[in-house]
Amino acid sequence: MTRALVAIQGVSQHFGVDGASVPALEDIDLEVPDGQFVSVVGPSGCGKSTLLSLVAGLRLPSRGAVRCDGELITAPMPRKVGMIFQEANLLPWLSAVDNVAFPLKLRRVPKRERLEAAARMLELTGLAGFEDRLPHQLSGGMKQRVAIARGLVQNPAVLLMDEPFASLDEQTRMVLGDELLRIWSETRKTVLFVTHSLHEAVYLADRVVVLSARPGRVVDDVLVDLPRPRSFAMTTGERFGVLKDRIWQHIKHAERR
Amino acid sequence: MTWPERHLRLSQAALYLAILAAWELLPRGGVIPRLFVPPLSEALGTLVADRREYLGSLPTTFGEILVSYVLVCGGGIAMGQLIGSSLTARRMLLPVLRSAYAVPLVVLYPVMMVWFGLGSESKIAFASIYAFIPTMLTAVAGVAALSPALGETARAFGATRAQQILYVSLPASLPSIVAALRLGGALVIVGVIVAQMLGAADGLGYLITRHRTLLNSPGVYAGIVLVLGITGMHEILLRRLERKVAAYRQS
Amino acid sequence: MRRHERVIVAAFVLGLFGLWEALARLGRLDASLAPAPSTILEALMRLLKRPEVLTSLGVTAWEAVAAFLIAVPVGLLIGFTLAEVPVLGALFRPLVNFLFGVPKSIFLPVFILMFGVSIPQKIAFGVFTTIFVLIVGGVASVQSVPRELVTVSRVYGADRWQIVREIYLPAMAPILLESARLGLVFNITAVLLCEIYGARDGIGYRIAAWGENLQMPQLYAALVIVAAAAVAVNEALRRLEARLGFWREQS
Repeated sequence: MTRALVAIQGVSQHFGVDGASVPALEDIDLEVPDGQFVSVVGPSGCGKSTLLSLVAGLRLPSRGAVRCDGELITAPMPRKVGMIFQEANLLPWLSAVDNVAFPLKLRRVPKRERLEAAARMLELTGLAGFEDRLPHQLSGGMKQRVAIARGLVQNPAVLLMDEPFASLDEQTRMVLGDELLRIWSETRKTVLFVTHSLHEAVYLADRVVVLSARPGRVVDDVLVDLPRPRSFAMTTGERFGVLKDRIWQHIKHAERR
Repeated sequence: MTWPERHLRLSQAALYLAILAAWELLPRGGVIPRLFVPPLSEALGTLVADRREYLGSLPTTFGEILVSYVLVCGGGIAMGQLIGSSLTARRMLLPVLRSAYAVPLVVLYPVMMVWFGLGSESKIAFASIYAFIPTMLTAVAGVAALSPALGETARAFGATRAQQILYVSLPASLPSIVAALRLGGALVIVGVIVAQMLGAADGLGYLITRHRTLLNSPGVYAGIVLVLGITGMHEILLRRLERKVAAYRQS
Repeated sequence: MRRHERVIVAAFVLGLFGLWEALARLGRLDASLAPAPSTILEALMRLLKRPEVLTSLGVTAWEAVAAFLIAVPVGLLIGFTLAEVPVLGALFRPLVNFLFGVPKSIFLPVFILMFGVSIPQKIAFGVFTTIFVLIVGGVASVQSVPRELVTVSRVYGADRWQIVREIYLPAMAPILLESARLGLVFNITAVLLCEIYGARDGIGYRIAAWGENLQMPQLYAALVIVAAAAVAVNEALRRLEARLGFWREQS
C-alpha cells in the first residue's frame, strides 16, 4: 500500500480579527498518495489557497496537522515542496535561468551547478534558448513556464499550484495544461492543483477534491477514471461531462448562496 | 468613520497639538533659546501687532507673483501644449530640459539683479525663469499622456494642428494644466519671496531678511508664517480647482 | 533622440552661440550685460587657474557633500521606519507630506539665527532641505517591493537576511537612487542659496560678489562652471539609476 505522501488530518484554520474569528477551513481530512495529481476546486473564498499555504508551510493550522512524508510541516520545506502561484512572481531583475536557479542560490549551491540544473529545467519546460531573457521580455505563458521550472529545480516530491493558469488566455491555458501533464508524467511528482475551472480540474487530475463555501469542508472526492494520456477529444465525451456535472452540482449550490 | 480610522485621526490631532505645544512651551521654558525659536504666541503676536508693516509688503509681493504667474503659466503651459503634441519635439527637447532641471537656478539671481536692479523686474524675471521649466514639463507630460487616438480622430476630421490643440488637446489635458498651474504657482511664490530675501527694497522676503539682520526672531517667524499661509491658501484653492475640473470632465 | 535629431539640436545651440558672439563683436550688445561667449570662455580658463576660486569651489563642494552624507542615511532610516512600522507611518504621513510640500528656502533666515553665518549653518540648512526627499523616497522604495516576491522567497526557504539581500535591495535600488539624485540637486541648490544670501566663502559667495561688482565675465564663467558641474553629477547618477533599474518595464 502506498503511504500517503501528503497527509492532512483534522485541519481547521481560522483567522482572528479583534476577537471575532473567521473560520476558513473546517475539519479537512485529505490523504494524497505519492505521484497522484489532485485538483482542488470550490466556490470563491472556500479556502483552497489557504489549504495550499498550509501544505507549503507558510502558515500553521489552527487545529490538526499537516504532514509530508511523515514529517510534520511547521515551516516551508523547500526541498520537499515547490509552489507555483497565479502570478508567476519572477524576480524582474533576474534572467529566466537566474530565476529558476534562485531556490538553489538560497541554499548556497555553487554557481555552475545551479545554473546547469536551472538550464535543464528550462529545457524540460520547453524554454531552451530563452535562458537570458528578462521577465518583462517574456509572455505570460512563458513566465509561468519559468515559474514551473523554478518549482521543479530542487526536485521536490510535492508540487503545489495555486491557480497557475488563471491569468492566461484560453489557448495558452490549454497548451500549458498539456505541457504540465507531460512534465508530470516524466517526473511523477505529487501535485496539488487549485483551480476555479472545473474543466481544467477534471482534465488534468487523477482525483478532484471539492470544498464547500466558507468555512471550507470536503464535500466530495471524485475519482477521475479517464485514461491517460488525456486528450482534448475526451473533454467532449460523456464521461467527462458526467464528472464535471457532479462537481458543478456542489458548487452551484454554494455560489447561489 | 471606522474605529481604527477615528483612532488614527485622534492620534494625529494629538501629535499636532503636541508639536504646537512644544513650539510654545519649550522656548518659554528656556529649553530652546528664544533667539532660535520664539514661542508661537510671540510670533503670531508680532504678526498682529505689526500687521500694517506685513500687510504693506503684500501689494508689491502679490504684484510680482501675479505677473510671474501669468508669464510662467501662460507661456509655460502654451509651450507645453505645443511641445507635448509633437512626438518629434518631445523626443528632441525633453532630454535637454530634464538635464537642465538639475541646474541650480538660484545662481541666476545675481545676474537678474545686475540686469534689472533691485526693483520688481528682477524678482519677476527670476521667479519666471525658476518656475518655467518645471511647469512646462508638467504640461508636456499631461499632453503626452493623452491617448493618441484623440489626435488621430481630430485629424481624420480634417483639423489642422492648431485646431487640434485648441479644441482637442487643451480641453482634454485640462486636469494636467491645473496641475501645472498648481506647481507653477507654488514655485513662483517661492521664487519671488526668495528673490526678495536675497536683495530687494520691498516685499515680504525683504521684510523677513530685515528682521533677521536685526535679530528680531518673532518678526522673522511671523513673516515665515505669513508665507506659509499664502502658499497654503494657494494649494487649497488649486486643489479645489483640480477637483472641480476632474468632476466636470466626468459629467 | 535619433541621431540626426541630436545633430539638429547641437547645430541649433551652436548657432545661437554663434549669433551671440557675432552680435557682441559687432557692438550690438551691451558689453557690461552680455559679453561675448569668447570673453566668458577666457574668463573661465583664468578662473580655473586661480587658487582662491578653486578653494571656493572646494568649500561649496564640501558643504554639499557633508550635508548629503548626513541627510541620506538619516532620511532613509526615517523613511524605512515609517514604511516598515505601519502605525508610525500612518501617524506621521500627513505631517511628512505637509513638510515635504512646504518651501524650505524661506527657512534660511531661521538657520542663520541659530548658527550665525557659518559652515555648520550651511550644512544644517542643506540637511534640512534634502532630508525630506529622502524620507519620502525611503518610504516609496520599501513600498515598491512586491510582497508576493517575499512570499515566494519564504516558500523556497529564504531566511531574513536573504530576503533583504535578494529581494529588498534590488527592488529598492532604482527608487533609492532616484531620491538620492533629486536630493543632491536640492542640496546643491540649498548650499548655493546660503552662499549667495550671506557667506564668507564658497562659489555662491563669489558669484554674488562678482555680481555686485559688475564683473560680468567672471560671473557668467562661474555660472557655467556651476551649471556644468550640477548637470554632470545629475547625468552620472541618472546613468547609474538606469543601470540598476534596467528591469523595470519602459512605459
